[in-house]
Amino acid sequence: MELHKEKQLLETLQGVFQLKSGEIKRRHRIEVEVEKKDVVPLLLFVKEKLGYKHLSHISCVDWIEEGRFELIYMPWSHQEQILIMVKVSIPRDAAEMENIDMIWRQANTYQRELREMFGIEFPGFVGDYDFILEDWEDIPPMRRDFDTEAYVKDHYFERPGREDAKDVRTEIAKRSGEQIPDFAKKYSR
Amino acid sequence: MGFFNLKGTIRPLTGLKQFGKVPHTIEYPNESKEAAPRYRGFHFNEIEACIGCGNCSTICMNGAIDMISLVEVEGKKGDSGLRPRVDHGRCCWCGLCVEVCPTGSLALTKEYLYVSPDANSFLWTPGVDNPEGKEKISFYSTAESSLTDMTRVPMRELEGMERIKSFAEVVLGYEEEEARKEASRCISCGICTEVCPDHMHIPEYINAIAQADDHSAIKIIYDNNPLPEMCGKVCTRRCEDVCAVQVRGEALAIRWLKRYATERAENAEMIREIVNPEIRESNGKKVGIVGAGPSGLTAAYYLALRGYDVTVYEGRSKGGGMTMYGIPKYRLPLESLEKQIGYMERIGVKIKFNTQVGKDISFEEIYQQYDAVFLGIGFQKGWKLGVPNEEAPGVQPAVDFLVSVNDGQEVKVGKKVVVIGGGNVAIDAARVARRYGAEVSILYRRRVEDMPADWEEIEGAEDEGIHIIAQAIPKQIVVDEHGKLKGFEYIKARMEQDERGGRPRPVPIEGGETFVPADDVMVAIGQEADYSFLPEEFKKNIEISRGRIVADPVTFQTSDPKIFAGGDAVNRTADAISAIANGFNAVKGIDKFLFGKEK
Repeated sequence: MELHKEKQLLETLQGVFQLKSGEIKRRHRIEVEVEKKDVVPLLLFVKEKLGYKHLSHISCVDWIEEGRFELIYMPWSHQEQILIMVKVSIPRDAAEMENIDMIWRQANTYQRELREMFGIEFPGFVGDYDFILEDWEDIPPMRRDFDTEAYVKDHYFERPGREDAKDVRTEIAKRSGEQIPDFAKKYSR
Repeated sequence: MGFFNLKGTIRPLTGLKQFGKVPHTIEYPNESKEAAPRYRGFHFNEIEACIGCGNCSTICMNGAIDMISLVEVEGKKGDSGLRPRVDHGRCCWCGLCVEVCPTGSLALTKEYLYVSPDANSFLWTPGVDNPEGKEKISFYSTAESSLTDMTRVPMRELEGMERIKSFAEVVLGYEEEEARKEASRCISCGICTEVCPDHMHIPEYINAIAQADDHSAIKIIYDNNPLPEMCGKVCTRRCEDVCAVQVRGEALAIRWLKRYATERAENAEMIREIVNPEIRESNGKKVGIVGAGPSGLTAAYYLALRGYDVTVYEGRSKGGGMTMYGIPKYRLPLESLEKQIGYMERIGVKIKFNTQVGKDISFEEIYQQYDAVFLGIGFQKGWKLGVPNEEAPGVQPAVDFLVSVNDGQEVKVGKKVVVIGGGNVAIDAARVARRYGAEVSILYRRRVEDMPADWEEIEGAEDEGIHIIAQAIPKQIVVDEHGKLKGFEYIKARMEQDERGGRPRPVPIEGGETFVPADDVMVAIGQEADYSFLPEEFKKNIEISRGRIVADPVTFQTSDPKIFAGGDAVNRTADAISAIANGFNAVKGIDKFLFGKEK
């Protein structure tokens, strides 16, 4: 399949911006990674100059091991039929990103969600703090250091009738007569 | 303008253009539309395919999945016997449970409608409570899409033709990074531990390796196996056959990971420092052990830890038994075993080498001198083939050949060697002979895929240029008029289905006699124990059935209560790890016998 349009778009972007990386993922989809300072100029450029009028989504991945959040902006062009995935990494502690709801109004909703679920702040951005969660006081729940399981155990009662649950490892050890020493148990599942 | 509005009169008539078209109405009674093909609804579990590893239950962040016993599922080797039950009141349909399921039995269906006034009825056992779900599966994992990593980190080995130049170890072992990566594939279900004769704590030590805590891994390994480096190199590793990951991918390299961990302790002193075992005060009891093989050494080690005064009698100059003398050094180097035996001596095990029971010391004396005796005598005598001319010079049991090579004796190997048999001993002898520069053929009665040897050993032999002749029934050893060995004659066989449901039998093809020239013939069709060291009165007391000592399967006590036994001469599996397990359990048996309870 010819990826003519995609190649051309990637070359244009490479000409105008300093991309950290750029790749054609498949037909209708390219992926670029930029520095934080280049995000707004790039989004404005593709919207105003290249006709990427629609912002499909802003997504976020928590790379906790590397201490960063990865935000992915996804503008789409109906004419070109291409989705650009614009990736940017921001530090995980004191996570802050430029507000873009004056470029696309729907970014307001996405940014409220990102603020609530990941704790990313958008200085100068006006929007209600409560989005889906109500009276949330814990750390933002989509952060990977949020212990969902512990929260669930804390907040919800166990339905009656679940007492017969067994532990697989213990069950097998019992059947075969294996005695797992205490010092090894911290490495059991 | 005006009273009469033409437009207002005509416009309603435009509705007539719809005349005769199919009306857009809703069917009655209303039928709900089918969900999208990828809709994530209720779970469905293929009960037969599920092995009850519990990975779904562990991953569920909502605590929605329990593992429970079902009446229709019985636990067996490779199956915990438990199955998942889902609390649909908690499920958020994230599908992680499906994505981590190693067998692919768990899936989500398109069904998402369920109404009940009884909240407790939201507890479902998928696959049992919704058998119809099978037809409506929407979200499932494939071996490629699964979050379980199905591909093993490859083991580096010496190249085939490079190997036959020396006895250098063929397998090179994992580097740290490789080991961590391989270890992190483990899902820690523990299904493997049941098939391990010694029930080693496999998920625990693999997890410790994954978390870069090699010292804890070593400590966990030594909890019930004092010869783990040997096992890490040559174990028959039945654990890998039932690994949950093996169902759709490549089993965890459990053996190589054990090898990696144990090799981190470079010498006997380091093992002692890392394992740092608790050695109890002397309890005043003495135990004598016959044979420094895996079972004898294991019993000795754990008895010594429990405060017994232990002495091991070994006929040869080195410990390790068949693992020392039967296994070629390119699989298990000498230093590796000596290190582990050195560690045992450090914690107080006394080993008397070059002391053959029945010759250098009588069994009677040992029996009188000690409070209990453990026999770990092994299978040392090779079986005879039972064909003409077996007495010809140049014909020998393969096990004798291996022992002489490992003992450092000078051996003469002819140009052409024929090995009879399909087990690990046959392959070992063939590969050793190859290293002496011989052209080697292995004759085996059945097909290659029926060979009881490890497949890696068979592959290794083929890589090294060993010719395997399958479906060859031995007929006779051919000698010339002076009684000198000329070669071997076999009959080609075809495989015939066994009516009684056993494995296919080889049936000789008429006129299929074939001759292979040979300077040496090595026979590896099985071994047996040598009981000649036992005085007659003990032979009467200790029950021996079909060549094996009869011992209690739990305590390993023989019919003479003071004598315990283990290893090849007792169990049917005849491998090192079973011998270790026997030795380990006999320690508890001896405890019980001498103190009335396990101390």
